[in-house]
Amino acid sequence: MKRRVVVTGTGSISALGNCMKELIDSIERQVCGTKQMETWNQYKGLQSLVGAPAELPDIKIIPRKMRRSMGRMSLLAVFAVNEALESAGLEKNEITNERYGCVAGSTMGSAEALNDTFEIMLPDHDLTLLTSMSFFQCISHTVSMNIAQYLGITGSVIATSAACASSLQAIGTGFDLIRNNTQDIVLCGGSEELHPTVTGSFDILFATSTKFNETPKKTPRPFDKNRDGLVCGEGAGIIVLEELEHAKKRGANILAEVVGYNTCGSGTHISQPDRQAMIQCMKAALADAGIKPENIDFVSAHATATLQGDHEEAAAIYEVFGSQTPVNSLKGYLGHTLGASGAIELAVAIEMMNNSIIYPTLNLTDIDEGCSMIKHVKTKLKKNINFILKNCFAFGGINASIICKKYEEINE
Amino acid sequence: MSNKIELMINEVFQESFEIEKNQLKPEANIFEDLGLDSLDVVDLVVALQNKFKVEIRTDERIKEIRTLKDLCIFIKELQSEGSS
Repeated sequence: MKRRVVVTGTGSISALGNCMKELIDSIERQVCGTKQMETWNQYKGLQSLVGAPAELPDIKIIPRKMRRSMGRMSLLAVFAVNEALESAGLEKNEITNERYGCVAGSTMGSAEALNDTFEIMLPDHDLTLLTSMSFFQCISHTVSMNIAQYLGITGSVIATSAACASSLQAIGTGFDLIRNNTQDIVLCGGSEELHPTVTGSFDILFATSTKFNETPKKTPRPFDKNRDGLVCGEGAGIIVLEELEHAKKRGANILAEVVGYNTCGSGTHISQPDRQAMIQCMKAALADAGIKPENIDFVSAHATATLQGDHEEAAAIYEVFGSQTPVNSLKGYLGHTLGASGAIELAVAIEMMNNSIIYPTLNLTDIDEGCSMIKHVKTKLKKNINFILKNCFAFGGINASIICKKYEEINE
Repeated sequence: MSNKIELMINEVFQESFEIEKNQLKPEANIFEDLGLDSLDVVDLVVALQNKFKVEIRTDERIKEIRTLKDLCIFIKELQSEGSS
């Protein structure tokens, strides 16, 4: 029999603050984190001049020798880790045990470090001015590596790199590591940093929001008929997963139980979203959880406000859940935090479940006809929630869905 | 001249390695007293190249440097070689 896995801690940093409380308070107040990025107009061809930047706290609280290998995304991750550990009631030096691991993802290494490396190297094709730390900040597993070094982790250390699905894959991987008895505690999540080259990679594909450069608070607009693309955000989210008995033994505060997960490929196109694959992913997660679609009380959508993506996801959600299950997207608050989005948004969704509240999709004024078949949350909704499903769909045709259940000790 | 070199070297240690000024004594061992490791030495070389506009990455004499005083002598030698 597989072991049960619970969430015992959450931590986040984003455009909406440096902790879960600030994040939830901002969502409660309907704050949009999007801002004009004033220096980005120096980039020829960049149409989207908006982003949702985070503010890093004092990084000197991280010892220099640990900090030197951290690009911005790893620094962001460390602050989310610190909060997640505190939330889980774990000391930093308490998780240096071969049964305690870390799985964290990002789209790629630090964009800022990659940019700086090429700017130093390319003008004269000169390698002699590169520091020893360029490599460690640029590599694809920079976030998980730095978290592991920061905490002295000796269990599994894994990096999931699947763009916008990175952190949900990280949580799913951690779930598997614990339920299959490889680990007892796994810090899971992801991190991403805002950089013009990151926004640019979506911009050249015409996937970014470009019509709201002068009115940034009005974008992104998930499911709205006037949506015009995604807004890149930045931040980090960390979820502490733990084996149920291990958590109970140490008297941990249990926030939720993870009960189902699936990740799959669409196998059809590297950028076009595919509703059939989304349907397959959500149905497989439901089967993994051993529950029916009608058991799900709330879907936290991926919905980034791209024209095709929102439409395909709405159609896929309708196919699986019909028109009565409430659906929201958090992208209107946070922007698209890419590899961090799954973890940050799942942490928020767990808060919503425990508080019996579903926050509305910000900037959803006029529901697009092509997305109208599902039940959108347009104003704060009070509802008893026992099961939530969180989606992340990434470029490359990579899908991930995870299901969490409310944990009630009385029923155990 | 040597005092200026010493000041510039100290700046590198303060800026790149966050070493407190009061620890920067000529006899301080850069590994044992100032806490640098092999990766820091790579970055020390880059920082010194930038500071003094010299190329020292492949200079074998770097391997012998232990103290700030050794470093100061090394830079002085480089500068006199450059001007001769």
